[in-house]
Amino acid sequence: MTERPYWLAVAVAGWGAIVLWKAAELPQFHQYAGIGPGMFPTAIGLVMLFLGLLLALQIRRGVRFEEQGAEDVNDDHRVSYAALGLAAAACALPMVTMKPLGFVVTCTGCFVLVAAAFQSRSHLLNLALGAAFSVLCWWLFRKLGVQLGGFLPLAGV
Amino acid sequence: MDPVNGLLNGFAVALQPQNLFWCFLGTFMGTAIGVLPGIGPALTIALLLPVTVYIDPTAAFIMFAGIFYGAMYGGSTTSILLNTPGEAGAMMTALEGNRMARKGRGAAALCTAALGSFVAGTIGTIGLTFLAPPIAELAFIFKPQDYFALMLLAFLSVSVVMGSSKVRGFIALFIGLSLGVVGIDKAGGMQRLTFGVPDLLDGVEMTVVLVSLFAIGELLYVSSRYGKQMPNLNPLAGGIWMTREDWKRSWKPWLRGAAFGFPIGALPAGGAEIPTFLSYTVERKLTRHPEEFGHGAIEGVAGPEAANNAAAAGVLVPLLTLGLPTSATAAILLAAFQNYGLQPGPLLFINSGDLVWGLIASLYIGNLMLLVLNLPLAGLWVRLLFVPRPYLYAGILIFSLVGIWGVSNSWVDLAMMFGVGCLGYVMRVYDFPIAPVLIGLILGPMAEEKLRDALAAGQGDPLTLVSTPLSAGLLAIAFLVVTVPALLQWRRSRRIVEPADAE
Repeated sequence: MTERPYWLAVAVAGWGAIVLWKAAELPQFHQYAGIGPGMFPTAIGLVMLFLGLLLALQIRRGVRFEEQGAEDVNDDHRVSYAALGLAAAACALPMVTMKPLGFVVTCTGCFVLVAAAFQSRSHLLNLALGAAFSVLCWWLFRKLGVQLGGFLPLAGV
Repeated sequence: MDPVNGLLNGFAVALQPQNLFWCFLGTFMGTAIGVLPGIGPALTIALLLPVTVYIDPTAAFIMFAGIFYGAMYGGSTTSILLNTPGEAGAMMTALEGNRMARKGRGAAALCTAALGSFVAGTIGTIGLTFLAPPIAELAFIFKPQDYFALMLLAFLSVSVVMGSSKVRGFIALFIGLSLGVVGIDKAGGMQRLTFGVPDLLDGVEMTVVLVSLFAIGELLYVSSRYGKQMPNLNPLAGGIWMTREDWKRSWKPWLRGAAFGFPIGALPAGGAEIPTFLSYTVERKLTRHPEEFGHGAIEGVAGPEAANNAAAAGVLVPLLTLGLPTSATAAILLAAFQNYGLQPGPLLFINSGDLVWGLIASLYIGNLMLLVLNLPLAGLWVRLLFVPRPYLYAGILIFSLVGIWGVSNSWVDLAMMFGVGCLGYVMRVYDFPIAPVLIGLILGPMAEEKLRDALAAGQGDPLTLVSTPLSAGLLAIAFLVVTVPALLQWRRSRRIVEPADAE
């Protein structure tokens, strides 16, 4: 594989720089303890910058990245970006709908999207199954004492 | 309390009907999730945390222990019958066990795996029973600098041991450490890395990170590379159970596996990969039937499977006595202790003796339950694999939302679920180990606290960090853990590169 994902190294170093920048706003030293609240984050930021650099060097030397094995994964690790998009949409959906539409509607939507990502084509059946499963979860976990919000916040329930 | 009395007390707690029920529930769920893909013990415990807040801590931990042990039994069943090792510890079992199953000896492989797990799990639990109290006592004489050195050693060895690349292991660790500093600084009350978001003042929730990395990351990864394949079950029927010959060839590997698994699992580096691999290598060397290795040798199932379970018991030693987690599951167990306001260590053995000893006693009972649950019913458990994947993964996402939304009904947690989930996806694609993130997240703040305590006591003199023999020794070992493998690799790579250049 000749892929050279330099962006990984940039991301690591970039996160290190952000940590370093936020840590710089904090006092680094303390009268008694020697180190202040900023010292530990500063050290973490510096090491991450260094690790990003190291990773970039490894990538330049052509280090191999082998995908981790998992069950249910096809043999040649062929990537379907359509399925990935659907699954990502399912994971992002709660950010948009959880507050206004509530747990049940959100989970039904997630259920349909994930099922579609896994190549299930019977969307109406999935919708019904998803709704039933979401209601069951909402009711059951509420009984167990988990706060999941109202049933349908829009309808005021 | 001496171990024998403690254990007797523990059995009195664990044998109460409601605790037996929790133990059964835990072992049952553990076996199920061990068989199912996409969900493991750490994730299950994380998802159960919001529910268990309302039950007695002793009952909760008895259930968690059942899940912890049960997942390993379930994992060995699928790796033997389907060649799908659910976790790294079961890889060696899949190698030989699946070959045995293909030759129609699946029943014998399952039998030796289950019995070996039982024997080694029990030996490991006995080790835990007698080793934990003295180590916990040791923690009384630990000074902050000793704790700091021990944690540093755990950080470094976990990053070096796990995964294929040290750089990527360290990156994973430091991602966890950086998430760990988010929130209000405990010592001074200052906000750190909160970016002005009020929801982050309490810090990053362990459950949210764990669920996102394991469940969401796995969901994204598997969905994008989904291969529809019906499980290709090897027939169990017609296979004979263990013969006299099988027994003779199994019992020594069980004991040797336990002897490798427990001590290595109990080390701060922990993990089940090394002992299982070691056990496999040793059995291959010692066997009288070397020709069978690679084609279904029963020793290659018995040894690693025993090592795997003994290592699981070993991991509980540093967790219960020092509060030091060395695997993802141990990290979430530590988070669970903190949720209940309990701090593992010597005080746990004194203040919550019923809980600790009940937990340890329930490990013996759970092991027995698992043997009964798994040996005759293996054929039933694998039916779980026929759950349609679209519904399985959709269900996992909904349970994850219960776990994440149920913690604090915070939008930031949902955003973090998406962000950390994407991180989990990238980490799978580019082969970064995941456990160091969790260990950094939970141990980072503790290590910082101990460091500052030590320095405050030493009036800021950095030399106090090596002022006790223990701290100096541990730091020296930590230094060697990083430098020795790096040096060896550097020498080896030079030796390989030179002839290649000459050609």
